[in-house]
Amino acid sequence: MVLKVGIIGAGGISHSHAPHWVTVGAEVSVYSEVGAESLANEFGLSVASSLDDLFENVDVVDICTPTTTHAAIAVAAIEAGKHVLCEKPIGRTTAQANAVADAAHKHGRQAYPAHVVRFFPEYVALKSAVERGQIGDIAVARYSRGGEGATSEWFFDDALSGGIIIDQMIHDIDQARWIAGEVVRVFARQNPPTVDGAVPRNVVAHVTLTHASGAISFIQGVWGPRGMQFRTSFDVAGTDGTLRFDSTSPAASTVDENLTSVAIESSYLPPTSAEESPYLTQIREFAAAFEGGPPPRVTIEDGVLAVAIAEAARESIARGAAVEFDADAVLGSEGALA
Amino acid sequence: MKVAVLNFAHGHADGYLRHLHGIAGVEVGACDPEGFRQAESLAEAGSPGGTVFFGTYEEAAEWADAVVVCSENAKHREIVEVAIAAGCAVLCEKPLATNLEDARAMRHAAAAASVPLMVAFPVRFSPAFATLRERVATGALGDILGIVGTNNGKIPRDRSWFTDPALSGGGSIVDHVVHCADLIDALIPQRAVSVIATSNRILHPHVATDVETSGLVSIEYDSGIIATIDCSWSQPESASSWGGLTLEVTGTRGSVKIAPFAPHVGGYDAGGETWLPYGSDLDAAMIDEFVSAAAAGTQPQPDADVGVRTVAIMSAALESARTGSVVKL
Repeated sequence: MVLKVGIIGAGGISHSHAPHWVTVGAEVSVYSEVGAESLANEFGLSVASSLDDLFENVDVVDICTPTTTHAAIAVAAIEAGKHVLCEKPIGRTTAQANAVADAAHKHGRQAYPAHVVRFFPEYVALKSAVERGQIGDIAVARYSRGGEGATSEWFFDDALSGGIIIDQMIHDIDQARWIAGEVVRVFARQNPPTVDGAVPRNVVAHVTLTHASGAISFIQGVWGPRGMQFRTSFDVAGTDGTLRFDSTSPAASTVDENLTSVAIESSYLPPTSAEESPYLTQIREFAAAFEGGPPPRVTIEDGVLAVAIAEAARESIARGAAVEFDADAVLGSEGALA
Repeated sequence: MKVAVLNFAHGHADGYLRHLHGIAGVEVGACDPEGFRQAESLAEAGSPGGTVFFGTYEEAAEWADAVVVCSENAKHREIVEVAIAAGCAVLCEKPLATNLEDARAMRHAAAAASVPLMVAFPVRFSPAFATLRERVATGALGDILGIVGTNNGKIPRDRSWFTDPALSGGGSIVDHVVHCADLIDALIPQRAVSVIATSNRILHPHVATDVETSGLVSIEYDSGIIATIDCSWSQPESASSWGGLTLEVTGTRGSVKIAPFAPHVGGYDAGGETWLPYGSDLDAAMIDEFVSAAAAGTQPQPDADVGVRTVAIMSAALESARTGSVVKL
C-alpha cells in the first residue's frame, strides 16, 4: 500500500521534506496558502485545493507551516484521523505542544516532531557511543549552532517564532536531553534582548542546563550577519572520555569551485554532502513508523519537553535567574505514563 | 638583574626558572622551603651561572630585584607581601588570590610600595589573541554580542594541593575561570556585572572529593555582552595533550574563534596518539615582559587590577555554584 502524505505549507523547510517523501515512494500532495504550485512542480506533487481536500486524501499530514500554526493544524489533522509529522517546534508554547500530544493519545494517532538533528550522523555517532558507555557518565557537554539568520520575516517576530531559543536552539536543547537525560534547571541569557516582540537580526543566546544526573550542558545559539557560514559543534565529556565534533573541520571534501569576485549567498541550512541527507533518513524512519514499523527515535513527548525547556529558558531571561524544571509536571499524568 | 622563583608548588615554576636562566644579564635565585623540588633538580635546570638558593622567602626577597611566586594559591598573599615589603617587582601565579579580600590587599600593598605586581596569564601573549584583539579593536566583528571561552585540561593529579580547597581555594572554577576572564577583560572595555555558575563533581570522583571538577560560568558585562566559560577538568588522562583554551567571539559583523594551543603536528607512536605542539612559547613571552618591565620600573600587563577583577568573577562563580543564585558584582 502506498503511503499518502499531505504536506501543509510550502516555505523553506518543505523543500527538505517533499523530495524525501517522494524518494521513499509516498504519494504526496501539498496544500499551502502560498507556493503550493511551485513546490508541486519542483518535486512532482499534486496540489490540494483546501485543508479539507488534503485531509480527505491522505494518511499522514506533514506540517511545514510557520510555528504558531503548528499545533492547531496538528490537532485538526489528528482529529481527522491522520498521523502527523510536525516541523519543530511542535508548538509556539508548551500548552500548544501539549495539546498536540494529548490529541494524539486521545485519538490513537502517531505524532512526531521533526527534530532532524537526531538523524545527523555525527550526533547519531555521539548518541550511540554514550549509550554503550564509551565515555562513561556524562559530566559536562557543550553544543553550538550558528550561521546567518533566518530569511523569512516571521522569524523575527517573537510572537510568531519564539525567537532564536524556540526556533533554533530547540535543536540542541533536544540533543542535550537526548545525551544527558532529563533537565531539572535552566539558565539563559540573550544579547541583544528581544524588545517589544522584535527579535534582533543578529543575536546570541546562551543556555545552561542542569540534568537530573547532575550533568551540566551549555548551548550557544547564533543568528549572525548575512554571509556567516552555518556551523554546529559539540563537545561532550564523561568519566571515561570525551567526544567532540566541529562542522567546520571534518569535511570529507574540501572544495573551492566556480570562484568569482561575487560573494555566494550562504545557506541557512547545513551544507549538503554526498552521504544520504539526514532529512531523508528522518523521513524514512517516520514513514516506516506510519506504515506500522518500529517507533522512531523521537517521541511527541520529546517535542513537548523541548518546547517546555525553551520556554523555561525564556522565563530565565525574563527573570534574570535560574528556573527549576519539572518534566513530569510539564507532561502531566497522561504524558508521564506514555 | 636578580630574579628569584619563590616556592615550587606550581608546575609552571620549573619552566619559568629554565627560561630565566636563558635571559642575558639575569641572575637566578630559588627558594623552595617546603621542598617541592630536590635542590639538584633545580640546579640541573640551571645555566653555567647556576642558581642561588635561599632558605627563606625573606632572604630571597632581600637578594632579588624581582620575584616569581609559584606557591599554592592560598599562600600567594603571604609570600607576595614579603616580596613587596623588600621592594621586589612581583609576578604572581594565577589566580592572584583565593578570595577578593586577599587580592585587594595585595594590589594595595603593591601600589603603596610602588612596585609592579603582574599576574601570570600567559595566554595574553598568544599571537592568536593579539590578532583577535586587533580584529575587535578595529571593529571587524562589529559590536560584540557574546563570547564563549573554554579552558579544559587534565586534572592536575601530580599536584595534590590543586584539589585541596584549603590550599587551592576550589577546584576547576578556581583553576580555569580566570584565564578566559582575563582574556575577555583585555578584549572589551566593559566590566562584569553579574555571574551565575553551575558545577558538579562527576569527573575524577576518586581524585577530587572536596572540589568541583566541571563548571559552566555565565557572566554578563555592563553593556549586555554575555559570556560563558567552560572551566572543566574534562581532558581525559588518555589524551595526548594537556588540554587547551578557546575563545569564540561573536559580533554583529562576524565571529572569530581562537585556539592558541591547537597548532600541533599529530601522529601516533608506540604509546598511541601523539601531539607535538608548536608555536610561540607563551610562558617565555610573559617572563620576558615581566623582566623588562621590572628592569625599567614600569607596570607590566596583566596587572593587579585585572588580577582583582578576575578573582571577583571566580569568587562569584564559586558562590553562585553553591547557592544557585545570580551574584552581582
